[in-house]
Amino acid sequence: MTLLRVEDVHKSYGDEEVLKGVSFEMDRGDVDVLMGPSGSGKSTMLRCINRLTEIDSGDVWLDGTPVYGPDTDVNELRQDVGMVFQDFNLFAHLTALENVTLGLKRVLGVPEAEATDRAADHLAQVGLAAQTDSYPAELSGGQQQRVGIARALAMEPKLMLFDEPTSALDPELVGEVVEVMRDLAERGMTMLVVSHEMGFARSAADDIHFLDSGRIVESGPPEQLFQRPEHDRTNEFLTGLQSNGH
Amino acid sequence: MSAEEPSVADEVRTTVTVDTDRPWALVGLAAFWGWLLVRWTNDFLLPDGMAFPSEQSFFPAAPFSAAAESLGATAASLGLVGAPLDVLAGLLGFVAGAIPSLPALARGAWLTILLTVAGIAFGFVLAVPLSVARVYGGRGLRWLSLSYTELIRGTPLLAQLFVLYFGLPLTQIIREVPGVGVGFVPATAVWVAIIGFTLNSAAYQAEYIRSALESVDVGQLTAARSIGLSKVDGIRYVVLPQGLRYAIPGWSNELVYLIKYSSLAAFITVRELFFQAESIANDTFRYTELFVLAALFYLALVVSASLLMNLVEERTSVPGIGGKRQA
Repeated sequence: MTLLRVEDVHKSYGDEEVLKGVSFEMDRGDVDVLMGPSGSGKSTMLRCINRLTEIDSGDVWLDGTPVYGPDTDVNELRQDVGMVFQDFNLFAHLTALENVTLGLKRVLGVPEAEATDRAADHLAQVGLAAQTDSYPAELSGGQQQRVGIARALAMEPKLMLFDEPTSALDPELVGEVVEVMRDLAERGMTMLVVSHEMGFARSAADDIHFLDSGRIVESGPPEQLFQRPEHDRTNEFLTGLQSNGH
Repeated sequence: MSAEEPSVADEVRTTVTVDTDRPWALVGLAAFWGWLLVRWTNDFLLPDGMAFPSEQSFFPAAPFSAAAESLGATAASLGLVGAPLDVLAGLLGFVAGAIPSLPALARGAWLTILLTVAGIAFGFVLAVPLSVARVYGGRGLRWLSLSYTELIRGTPLLAQLFVLYFGLPLTQIIREVPGVGVGFVPATAVWVAIIGFTLNSAAYQAEYIRSALESVDVGQLTAARSIGLSKVDGIRYVVLPQGLRYAIPGWSNELVYLIKYSSLAAFITVRELFFQAESIANDTFRYTELFVLAALFYLALVVSASLLMNLVEERTSVPGIGGKRQA
């Protein structure tokens, strides 16, 4: 059953067209990875799905709801779409626990005590039961990113967007975040991930979409894309990635 | 005690947040505030029968002037050698001259503090929406906020007070309000001054808060929006709590300025600290003594204010945001 449908999405910043008609679909429980060189429009594509960026033309449907429909409440839409950022973007003045409870309390109206319980569960789920009272500045990058994932999960979204979740991390911290993401994938979360993390893509992705200059050049399951890419551009990019030790 | 051993003073510094480097300043301030509080309680709260006469100083001036006189005489008889004694005699003479004016200055200090606290507090209430409008508002709101800030910051505070006091029918309106000027409720001119300082301080505080808001990473609001918070809620729960912490140092500056600028209220007949000092000086021709004394009062208020703001800054700091002593 289709959860996300992206249809012929165009987006320009000034004269520069970043997305030149992108279309793809995801079923519930799918894990898709967007790959492509920097500037190819991957992050813009993600942000167009929860309307942090507005598209110029095209359509996006989430669970049958038109994301850009005139009656769509952006704030309600975003409760269904969790987002994890490259720079974590944890609320710097709040503890790990408070980062997770803020949305529960202020968006969903969950009472304080219940919000605290639920947030503690989500933090435990990402392996941070002992860090609930730490402030972001006191956490490592990997820990911060896991709080970021818990914060998004707490809203019980239908879809999780990951915008280069490991690229700001020191190499030795990448593993702990990838592990949490893999765990999430196994438990059936629908995930759209912008990442060059080959290990994750190979083991967890259902489909990989290769984006280049605003277009999806090639899509397919990881084994197909990694072993027998149809396009030279895909091949070139993936070879480059592998030789860089990803 | 060996050099490696952590001294008791180091221990204290990590737990006590007040500036322990200047114990003399703390002792002086404690004496100043103790005296002020006793004076206010006596003059404003105690019924006439029980109170010490409000025009009379707690301390007798006579012993000081007598001592000054005899020291001065001794100094004169010693010739050149007596010069240090002469200085001491001069100091005692200053104290003797200052003592009779202390009650009036205490009353003035009360109004100075009232004007400053009210100006900074009400100004803050206006400054937050002004700065948010400036950073996050649409074109119209931004323009409105900018115009207000520029108008206020571009014209003299004294001129603003004059417009409010003499130019607008504000005084007639306030005078009609029942209770104004009765008992504890300040008189009309004080209200006009509070309105003036509020409007003025709001513009300056808005500038401090604006630049603090702009220093909050944009990703913070993006993250807030991504979990479904509206823009207003994102600003309220995520951006402002951080921005206001960043604003505290600038805000402390504004408080210190306002303490001193509150002396301009004297020009619209508010009997605050400067007004009291000047009027006594006019009567007694002791200009130097009175203005030095008033300066010492302002200094004590300013130092108290900055100590207080340091405390606020440390108390509100969280790891990564605010606070001065992080390595």
